[in-house]
Amino acid sequence: MAVRERTDAAVSPPREVRPRAGPLGQIAEISERRGWAYLLLLPSLLLVAAVVIYPVGSGFLLSFRRMLVNRPRLGTPWIGLDNYRAILEDDVFRAAAQNTVVWVVGGAISQFLVGLIAALALNRALPGFRPARVLILLPWLLPSVVAGHMWALLLDARLGVVNDLLLKLGVLDSPVAWFASATWAFPSVLLAELWRWFPFFTLFLLAGLGAISEELYDAAAMDGAGYWRRFVDITVPLLQPVIVASVVLRVIGLVNSPDLLVVLTNGGPGYKTQILSLYAFQTAYNSFNFGYAAAISVVMLLVLVVFTIVYIRVSRVTRE
Amino acid sequence: MAQSRDLFGSQRRTNWMLDGAAYLIVGLVTLFAVFPLAWTLLTSFKLERDIVTETIQYIPHELTFDNYITLWRRSGFPRLMANSAVVTALSVAICMLFGSLAAYSISRYRFWGRGLLLVFYLVIRMFPFVLLLVPIFVMLRAIHLLDTRTGLALAYTAFLLPVAVWMLKGFFDAIPPELEDASRVDGSTRLGALVRIVLPLAAPGMIATAVFVAIAAWNEFLFALLLTSSQGSRTWPVGLQLMVGEFQLPWGLLSAGGVISIVPIIIFFAFVQRSLVRGLTAGGLKG
Amino acid sequence: MSHDQGHRFAQAAEAVRLHRRDLLRIATMTGAGAALALHGLGRAKAQDAPISYWHHFTSETEMAGMERVLEQFRTANPGVEVVPETVPNADYMAKFTSAALADGLPDTAMVTVDRLPDMWGMEGVQPLNEWVDAWELKDAFPESVWSGATIEDQIYGVPAFMFVDWMYYRVDWFEEAGIAGPPKTWQEFIDAAIKLTDPAQGRFGFGLRGGDGGEGIMIQVMQGFGSPIADEAGCAALDTAKTAEAMASFLGLFTEHKAAPPSAPGDSFRQLMEAFKTGQTGMIFHHTGSLTEIVDALGDKVMTAPRPTATAGLVGNIAPLFNGMPKLDKAEAAWPWLTQWGEVDSEIAFLEETGYFPPNSQVASDERVTSNPLYAAAIETMNTAGLPPQFPGYPGWSKQTVLPAMQQVLLGEKTPEQAADDLAKGLQTATGC
Repeated sequence: MAVRERTDAAVSPPREVRPRAGPLGQIAEISERRGWAYLLLLPSLLLVAAVVIYPVGSGFLLSFRRMLVNRPRLGTPWIGLDNYRAILEDDVFRAAAQNTVVWVVGGAISQFLVGLIAALALNRALPGFRPARVLILLPWLLPSVVAGHMWALLLDARLGVVNDLLLKLGVLDSPVAWFASATWAFPSVLLAELWRWFPFFTLFLLAGLGAISEELYDAAAMDGAGYWRRFVDITVPLLQPVIVASVVLRVIGLVNSPDLLVVLTNGGPGYKTQILSLYAFQTAYNSFNFGYAAAISVVMLLVLVVFTIVYIRVSRVTRE
Repeated sequence: MAQSRDLFGSQRRTNWMLDGAAYLIVGLVTLFAVFPLAWTLLTSFKLERDIVTETIQYIPHELTFDNYITLWRRSGFPRLMANSAVVTALSVAICMLFGSLAAYSISRYRFWGRGLLLVFYLVIRMFPFVLLLVPIFVMLRAIHLLDTRTGLALAYTAFLLPVAVWMLKGFFDAIPPELEDASRVDGSTRLGALVRIVLPLAAPGMIATAVFVAIAAWNEFLFALLLTSSQGSRTWPVGLQLMVGEFQLPWGLLSAGGVISIVPIIIFFAFVQRSLVRGLTAGGLKG
Repeated sequence: MSHDQGHRFAQAAEAVRLHRRDLLRIATMTGAGAALALHGLGRAKAQDAPISYWHHFTSETEMAGMERVLEQFRTANPGVEVVPETVPNADYMAKFTSAALADGLPDTAMVTVDRLPDMWGMEGVQPLNEWVDAWELKDAFPESVWSGATIEDQIYGVPAFMFVDWMYYRVDWFEEAGIAGPPKTWQEFIDAAIKLTDPAQGRFGFGLRGGDGGEGIMIQVMQGFGSPIADEAGCAALDTAKTAEAMASFLGLFTEHKAAPPSAPGDSFRQLMEAFKTGQTGMIFHHTGSLTEIVDALGDKVMTAPRPTATAGLVGNIAPLFNGMPKLDKAEAAWPWLTQWGEVDSEIAFLEETGYFPPNSQVASDERVTSNPLYAAAIETMNTAGLPPQFPGYPGWSKQTVLPAMQQVLLGEKTPEQAADDLAKGLQTATGC
């Protein structure tokens, strides 16, 4: 079933000409012109270019300079690839990079799976699910500062409910300092992040599922296909564009916006939960080394670009 | 929405199993989602001394509204909320309008540079905020939009628009182009087809995207902190962050702040859900 | 058009209509926003324009204290308006740095003693010598306080208040354990911490701050053991042997003796206070800023004492806070705002609201201060303690290098020797020499 045929802007099916009167009609006529596709793109391109090109460009160039904001007397000399060479020798960068991989992969997979399962279940639209849909979305709605401190309180070594319950249930002998532990800090932050972001996947996947016509399932069921078959042959392919889009966006979000992580552990203890975006921010605003921070950012950007291109190619979403 | 229907006798059992599984899953997930929030709600009604205690109080000895009252009174909270609302509304408007147009174009038409453009939109989003901060500050200042709600909305649009484009493209992709082709054969213009056929079908996706942009803008903290001031267009998340001081963390107050934060969004979402349902039953989904 | 199509069209048309409404809103908002901004800009050029003031007060008591100072200022200076702006302390430098780079600095700003060199480095504070030298209250502040605001003989801030390091201890626990009084030497401190620890009762002798802010204390211990941090020129001068010794002794309380709670590697201010207030720890290191909170919670079970003294000196500092001027355009009008904080009445008012220590020696010998036994420790410390290290890059080094290294030792991932090496290397990079 060809769902994703694409048409060339100039070659869509001929239109039975019925000239339209009035200003709305005239605006609509513009859409018949060639280059209509480009016209649609123009506003967003202009806006994005205007607001972002300059900062991105200047940031990129900055990575080739030394810029210590608290020592402007040193100027901002061009140092070529020195910042990048320093990155290769930086132990903290290495630790942060490794953590970032685990953070992104672990985070994206856990959030996607839980989000998908919730979306599939909610899609059955059984009685009582309507309020559940809103409730499930709530973690995502909470501001980071509150969500972060709430989880800090929940898992607190002294005042935390989780420790208290686990003690009462006999699972623990003594309270665990979740965020101060070498083994548990990272998983704890991943758990908080899962809680906060699985609703994102649920919302989008649910919307995507909602667009799949019921009749497709009925037809398949009549052909004797079971639930799993229907899932693999109908649901997944039709959901593909939404899956790719949401996964890509969440990966970018995981790499770039460690809101909860900052509140919960701020990269500690030691470098156990340090990730690249946080390291870049601290390098800029704690160590005032803007040049090095720019270099770290560019490396992150390159990795993300490579990942995105590879992932999109592999999922063949732009091919159609 | 897919209705659970039983087709023939033998299918009924499968549906009960699936329905049962669905209830179980939804129950567990809802519990997971709600438990920390319920604790936050509970904490917002406790006195500070009942939160920092040796033994945790599951049922507080004393309930109080003090936290909410204090919150309402201090830190100009109504104005901060208003600022947040305006900035969010603007961001959503710009992103949805421009984003839909761009996403439709990318989804429907094959043109030179299409793949590159998609990646370009994402690259924008991928650039770490650290280095965007100062240049955006400088730019907003230059066009006299620093510390204004419009300026902040523009800054948000910069990294939310690509998201909107990507999400909307995904939803547009799922709508068969044959429908528009059929409409064009009936004499509609491309724009007409877009408006009459695609938009209604993409409604759930558009609403999901709008919600995403709204939440991202509503909760954003860093740009708001650096680009606004308390006299101008400071937003709600900054106000919340200020409660977490250097030497104190008023749990009750912070929890109350969190609860209050959610309320407008729930209202927004409930409103939007209703139009979603109405849109779906009115438009219907045709295969 | 079929009924269905008609419905859909109406819906879609609704969507389009909404979009048009939004467009209109955008246009008006942009126009209004631009008008407002221009208006604001225009106003700023007037002579009696408001004076912006960035600070990081967030608690109720601090705001109340500032409000009283503001009131006194308004009475003395009618016609001059000060507009305070709260910036969270953790993000203060981020906002300040961005403003410095983009030319958006305020007229006056709060300057802590450890941040001054970096702010000076980015040209975010201007010299105030000509006004300070003419100020009649200049000599009311001891030289040690002024030195905290001075770089290369230029003065960059006016003292507002001060944090004096001290420690709190549980008098009842000490009595139970039969320890005569608060520890005076470092060894006494270590011994007391170990003695007071009783896992059966859930008691730990010392609340070790291994989270955010703990680096400051660690550095104080290092200095107490005799390691300098930077030399006169602001270059790295760390004694790794003494640093390792200091780390082994201090962090050993957790790693070896288990005299600190298991959450120590992540414990920051909040956890430190919560542990002490709920009776989990017997001693904590902090400063005068938390007095009201502690006393409210523990009453007469708690007492203050000066920090212990190690081989090279007291393990603690005095940390004055100043108000400075990033820009001098409105200096004439802004100067009285800076000096208001030094006025006796304002200092007393602020002290009453917050309990923060006045840097004005006159005020410090005021009866309200000297008669309170809890303050005795602070008064004693003021005579013996020095300022924290001050050189460009110090806050960055302490947060980015010292804190993680300390945590790695606490977690057992590094030995104190290895951590000391990391500190030395990091300091080299931070100071550039």
